[in-house]
Formats: sequence, C-alpha cells, structure tokens
Amino acid sequence: MSLVVQVIVTGLAAGGVYGLVAVGHSLIYRLTGIVYFAFGDLVAFAVFATLLVAAGTAPVSRTSLAPGRFLLALAIGLVFCSAVGAATYVLFIEPYLLRGSTLGWVASTLAIAFALRGMIGATFTRPAYVFPDPIPFDKVGRNGVVSLAGASIQVRSFFVIALAALLAAVAAWTLQRTRYGRALQAIASDVEGARFVGLPVETLVALTFGLVGALAAVAAVAAAPSAPFSVETGTLLGLKGLVAAMIVRFGSPWAAFAAGLGVGLAEAAIDNLRIGDLGLGAQYGEILPLAFALALIAYRSLRAEPDVERA
Amino acid sequence: MSSALIEHTRSALAAGAREARGAWHLRATLAAAVVAAALLAPAVLPLAGRMPDIAAFVYLAVAAVGLTYAVGLAGIPSLGQGAFLGIGAFAEAIARAKGGWPLLPALLLGLGAAAAAGVLTGLATGRLRSAFVAVSTWILAWIVALTLISFPGISGGAQGLVLPQAEVLGHPLSPTAHYELGVALLVLVIVGYLIIAPRAPGLALAAARERSSAAVGLGVPVARFRLGAFTASAAIAGLAGALGVELAQVADPSGYDATLSFKLFVAVILGGARTPLGPVAGLLVISAFSHAAERLGTLRGLPPGRLEEMLTGYGLLLVLGLGGAGLLPAARAWWRRSWGDPARRQAPIRGEPLARVEHPAPLTTRRLSKRFGNLVALSELDLELSPGSVHALIGPNGSGKTTALNLLVGRLRPDQGTVAVGGEALDGLTTRGRAFHGIVGTRQTTEIFSDLTVLESVLVGAGLRRRHSGAFRTLFATPKARREAAAARRRALSALEFVGLAGELGRPSSELSAHGQRLLMLASALATEPRVLLLDEPAAGAGTAELEHLADLLDGLRKRGLALLVIEHNLRFVRRIADKVSVLAAGRLIASGSLAEVAVDPAVRTAYLGRQRL
Repeated sequence: MSLVVQVIVTGLAAGGVYGLVAVGHSLIYRLTGIVYFAFGDLVAFAVFATLLVAAGTAPVSRTSLAPGRFLLALAIGLVFCSAVGAATYVLFIEPYLLRGSTLGWVASTLAIAFALRGMIGATFTRPAYVFPDPIPFDKVGRNGVVSLAGASIQVRSFFVIALAALLAAVAAWTLQRTRYGRALQAIASDVEGARFVGLPVETLVALTFGLVGALAAVAAVAAAPSAPFSVETGTLLGLKGLVAAMIVRFGSPWAAFAAGLGVGLAEAAIDNLRIGDLGLGAQYGEILPLAFALALIAYRSLRAEPDVERA
Repeated sequence: MSSALIEHTRSALAAGAREARGAWHLRATLAAAVVAAALLAPAVLPLAGRMPDIAAFVYLAVAAVGLTYAVGLAGIPSLGQGAFLGIGAFAEAIARAKGGWPLLPALLLGLGAAAAAGVLTGLATGRLRSAFVAVSTWILAWIVALTLISFPGISGGAQGLVLPQAEVLGHPLSPTAHYELGVALLVLVIVGYLIIAPRAPGLALAAARERSSAAVGLGVPVARFRLGAFTASAAIAGLAGALGVELAQVADPSGYDATLSFKLFVAVILGGARTPLGPVAGLLVISAFSHAAERLGTLRGLPPGRLEEMLTGYGLLLVLGLGGAGLLPAARAWWRRSWGDPARRQAPIRGEPLARVEHPAPLTTRRLSKRFGNLVALSELDLELSPGSVHALIGPNGSGKTTALNLLVGRLRPDQGTVAVGGEALDGLTTRGRAFHGIVGTRQTTEIFSDLTVLESVLVGAGLRRRHSGAFRTLFATPKARREAAAARRRALSALEFVGLAGELGRPSSELSAHGQRLLMLASALATEPRVLLLDEPAAGAGTAELEHLADLLDGLRKRGLALLVIEHNLRFVRRIADKVSVLAAGRLIASGSLAEVAVDPAVRTAYLGRQRL
C-alpha cells in the first residue's frame, strides 16, 4: 500500500512536467504540423539559465535560495527561453514550413536541440547539477519528507503536481477563453482562412513557440530540485512529452496533460512495483513507455488507410 | 544447346561491355583515379598511427551514404540510422564474443539483424506521414540507446563486449585492411546509389517522394519501394556497425546514442541528401567541427566532446539558415553557373508513333455505389465504355463524377457493385492491379513530379510493366533489365512524341507551362499502355488553341482503340469530342446518349441545365 501511494505521488509529479511538455508539443503540432524536437532542450535551457542567474555555474552549496534572487533568476530564464523559442522558429523553422520541406524542419529542429545542448554543456561542465530549492520545503516534515499511508514522500511533489495542474488549466483556459487562444484555434483549423481574415499568423505562432517553452519550463524548474538535473534530463523530458502527445494524437491540452501523467505513472510503477516475485526494475521504466508508444503508432498506422503524403 | 547458351551469354556480355564503353566518360575516369588513390593512400602516406580512426570514419561514412537511400532516394526522414548501426554492431559482437561465431557469419548476422529491424520499422511506419516517421525513428533511436546502456547483460556493461581477434586466411585483420575494405564498401554503396537513382526503381521512388498520389495512380508500388529503400538503408548501417566493432575489437554500449543518429542525419542534410557523395562531405565537415571543438575545449579546459555538439548544431543551423540545399548541390550549382552545364545539351530523340491498343476491351460497371456517412455519393451506376470511343461524364458539382472515377481506378472501394474490363472482374484490385489491366486515370489537379525531367516523369509511367528490372536486377544491369529499360524508354518517347513534348525531354517538368504539365500527365498515363483511360477535367483552365490540341489528341487516342472516359464541365469541348454522354445528378445516372439526345431530356434540363439552353 505504502509503495502504491509513493508510486502515485512520484509518478504524478514527474508526469505533470511531461504533461506540460506534451501540451506544448500538441499545440505546436496542431498549429504548424511540425514536431519540435528541441522542446526538451529548450526547457533545459530555461532551467540552466535560471540556475546560472540564481547560483552561477559552481556546484551548489546551499540547498535553499533567497526568494527575491530566485524570482529574478526565474524571470530571466523564462524570458530567455521564450526569446530563443520564438527566434529559432522565425529563423530556422518557418522558412522550411513555407517551402513544405519536411527534411528541412526535421534537420533544423534537431540542430536547434543540439546547439542548445552544446551551449549548456559548454557552460555547465559537470555531469549533473543539484538545483537549489526556492521554497523551504525542508522545513516541513522530516527534512522535506512526510509520511503518508506509510510511504515517505517529498513535500515538493505535491507542490509540483498542483503547479502543473494549475498551468495545464491556464493553458486550456487561454486556448478556450482568450482572443489569443481563439486565434490559435483558428490557425490550427485553417491557416489560410486565418491569414485571410487578417490574423498575424507568423507572429502568433512565434509567440506560441516562446510561451509553450516557458510554460513547461516553470514546471521543470519547480520539479528540478527533486533530483540532479543534467542536459540529458531535458532531452528526455522533451522525448517523454512527445511520446505522451503522440499517444493522444496531439489532442487537446487536457488530453495531452493526462497522457503525460499517464507516462509518469507508468514509469514510476514499472520502476518500483513488484507483483509477487515479478518486478521489472528501473531499467525498464524509461524504455517500456517508449516501446509502448512505438507499438501504438505502428498499430494505428497499420489499421489506418494509407496516409502517405509528400515528404 | 549449351553452345547456344554460351553464345547467348557471350553476346549479352559484349552488349553490356559496349554499353559500358559508351557510357564511360571523363568523370568516370576521374572517379576511378580517386578511388585508386584512396586505396593506395596507406601504402604511400605515413598514416599508420591514425589508421584505426580513419577506418572508423570510413565505416561511419558507409552508414551515412546508406542513409541517403532512405532520406535522399525515398524522402523518408529517418532519425534511426544510429539505432540500426547499434543493432548490427551488437548482433555481431554478441555472436562473436559470446557465441564464438566465426567472422563472416557474424557479419552477416549483424547485417541481417539490422535489415530485419529495418523491415519491421518500415512496415510499422510505412503509411505514416513523414513527420510521424521522423518521430517514430527518433523514438527507436532512444529505445536502442537506452537498452544498450540499461542492460549490461546484453551489452557487456561499462566494459562493453570484447571481441576475439579476427583472422582471414590466418592473417589478423589490421586497421589498414579494414580501411581498404571500408573504402571498397563505400564505393559499392555510392555506385549502387548512382545506378539505382536515374533508373526505373529510383525514378519510381522519386515520383513517390514528390507526389505520392500521382505515383500510385501510375501503378507505382509506393509502399513496397519505400520499404525496400528503408531496409537497404538499415542493412547497410548494420554491416557498417558490425565491421566497426570488428575494427575496434570492442563493442561500446555508449557509442550508439541518439547523437549518432542525429550526426548521420545531419551529415546527409549538410552534404546534400540527393547526392551519394554528400554524406561523405557532410561527415568530413562534422569531423572538422569536432576537431576544432576539441582544440577549443582543451584551451578552455573543458572535458572532451562538450563543444562538439554545439559546433555541429551551429554549423548545421548556419547551412540551413543559408538556404539548406547542402554543400555538394550548392557547389555543383556554382560550378554550372561558372562553367556551363554539359548535361543540358541533349540532342532531340524521335520516338516511334504511339502504337494501337493491342487487346482493346470495354469497361463496364454494374450497380456501382458509394456513400460517405449519410451522403450518397454514387448510387447504382451502370456504365459502359467501348474501345475506340470517347465517353463524357457530365453533371453539376458534387454529382459524383470524381467519386465514380476514383471507384473505377481503385482509389476508393465501392459499397456495392462491380467493375469489369473485357468481362474480367476487377473488384478488390488495387490501383496498381488495375493499371496492370490497362485502366489508368489522371487527377483533376495537375500533379507533376517537379524534381524529375519531362522524360523521367514519363518513364515512371513506362515502368509499370517491368518484370525483370527490380532494384537488384537494375543494380547488376542484367540483359533482361537493360532490354526492358530500352523498351520503357521507347514507350516513353512515343508517348511524348504523341502529345508533342518530344522537344522538351531534358527539361525539369516544373518548368513546363500549365498546358505542358497537363500534356505531361497525359503522356505519363499513356506510357503505362492503357486500354481504358479516365481523364478528370483534362481541359480545366485551357485556352482555345490548347482545347483544340487536346481534342485532337483525344481523337488520336480514339483511333488507336482506347476506351476513354472524360469528366468535363466545358460543354463545347464535350460536343467536340464525345461519342456518348452520361449525366449524373446527386449520385444518380439520369440520362445517357448522344449530347443532342441528352440535351432534350427533361430530367437533365431540370436537374442540371436548369432553364439554360444548350
């Protein structure tokens, strides 16, 4: 029982971040028809930019931070992340979209990913970093850990889950209720129509590239202190979010968020749960969700009518 | 008997040699000289200390050129080449280190394992749109990378799998031997690409890459060809991976991460996806980057490899930002601008007149019906198209004309009813199967293969009835394949001569006028040797002179015994060409007969012409 509770809480906390990345992937796919391979690295970029301003590149000695400095760091990190997201779209993705060149945008989104990874790697030279905690969770419970139904759980996990759900709600609300969101929906359903009625399509899409990165980055920053964070963590975040978005066919924000939670839960369950003597263990936790997604894609494609368009 | 066989073989070989001599030119001599120099380099240059690195580079180049089979030839954005490399490497390493297999079977196992993974991935993703193919192969790359790292039982953990020293005829395989082998393999893979790309299988793949729907319409087995290209690409990677671990004598599980797939894809895009030498150039540039990055990194006291990703990413972004055709195509365009293009000067070749239909046959439909949800698109259509006649199908927009055509060529499946040609039922046959039976249709929108020249576009259609020139036979230029290629070329030239495009053979088809592109579509369809030809608004947007030209062409086809169905809105054109007219309204056939008969039919007047007078 205690293990189940622990799996659920850690799974949801990880899944919340995946979910927000999935929301971003879905939105971008529906707006432009592309898959943004650099998403996870953009999130990592925001996390590391925040870390740079908050604590520099040296190994972090303190586990907590002054809130003022942290908020400033977060703001700078998010602004940089949004600017890079929007700028890379305008410079390297849109030209290929206009030409209808799939190879072009696949190559440029991957190149952006590796340029960002390399940039972080050249600045932060240690294999992984421990992110300082802006909120003093370690004052709650035993050093930030409470017992719930016999399980020891980091208090931060609840905060991350709540924050992620809140951000997903904000994203869904923005999409449904604001002028900006309705404009995005118009673009998603018919680009030419949207352009025809005078929507500034390019600007709105570029803005969205910036905003979805920042959205996921907030959750990633909140979750970062739970475990050492590395460049690879960011890339995997992007990949898992993408898998979640694929599972729900780049659906609505809530569907994508739920799929992200599902991936997080599956991962935590595979990592920890044992049925009788049978346990898979941690090495399967990352691979099986990916394999499941691949199998699902294959199943759908074999069942569907041919959908081969020009490359 | 046997002497006749020998004589036959001798003459075939002589013909092959003659053809090869005829095709030999300065560029081939230069290429041969470069290959010879590359093979001799280790004997002349003091490279012994760096040989392992150079040989490893050559193997990586083999995998990168292999990737062009998928990316360049078929247009499949595969991000999983590193995974296939890893699968090949570890299949061979496990067989050698744990199973104690000898060298050759282990290498074949590596190739086979990667090919099998390629077939599975290709089958699973073959019908996806290309964005999803990129995602799926990217996920595959990660699965393989994570599996190798997380399962030391398979991959040998941190030490990797150590291989016994390989011996060939009692001699250990030195890095130099690997280098020679790698260069030979590289040449084979490049020459293979150069042979396939401009011939029937390559043209079919290019057509599928440009306009999948139009290629399917001409009977190209798009899915099979794409699967073949993808599998070849994976198999080449598997072999390169297997040889690579043999060279290193150890299989390192951390060496096949997603970065490797990225690097290979980048090499292809950077160098130019549609040139087999491009990836080699791309890889050279990338290793120059990593060299520079290592220097810079040591200066700044960074751990090795940190700057490499960044510089590779920046370099690729720079090339992509500049326009992104790739290094080699850009260099070639520059060369052509400065020195002129000898390939463009091509003497016009005359084709023979278009032949009569050999076995003319009528096409009949019985009670053909199709509904989309609640909408009845077509209801119980009975139609008969006779050889040597033009049948016009008219009706208001949305009356089911195009649906009828799509049902006839097999693009849609009917809910009920049958289609038969010459008494032979076609139900259940694919578009390709129907094309084999001589039923081909063109689409309403102009669909041309903009990357191909005029002649190449028509060769795609002329390739339908190939039986002995699949990828392998084309690769080895068997006598039958060469004969078929010559016959296909004759058919294509006849079709082009017939529509009047014989003077434009070498022109890119995207440069043709709108009317020229319409004629090109017609010629491509005619090159499949149809008995029944279905044209969806062939005259849309044509001017008066062009309409007259088109009408003359249809007359010519009628005289050659084709059964023609023409969907048309322009009634003046219908009056000029049609022997018989059928009128559809709301999915039902409401009248059939000569245009004069139909025009006075009261049902037609109310349903279609309203109060207008014809």
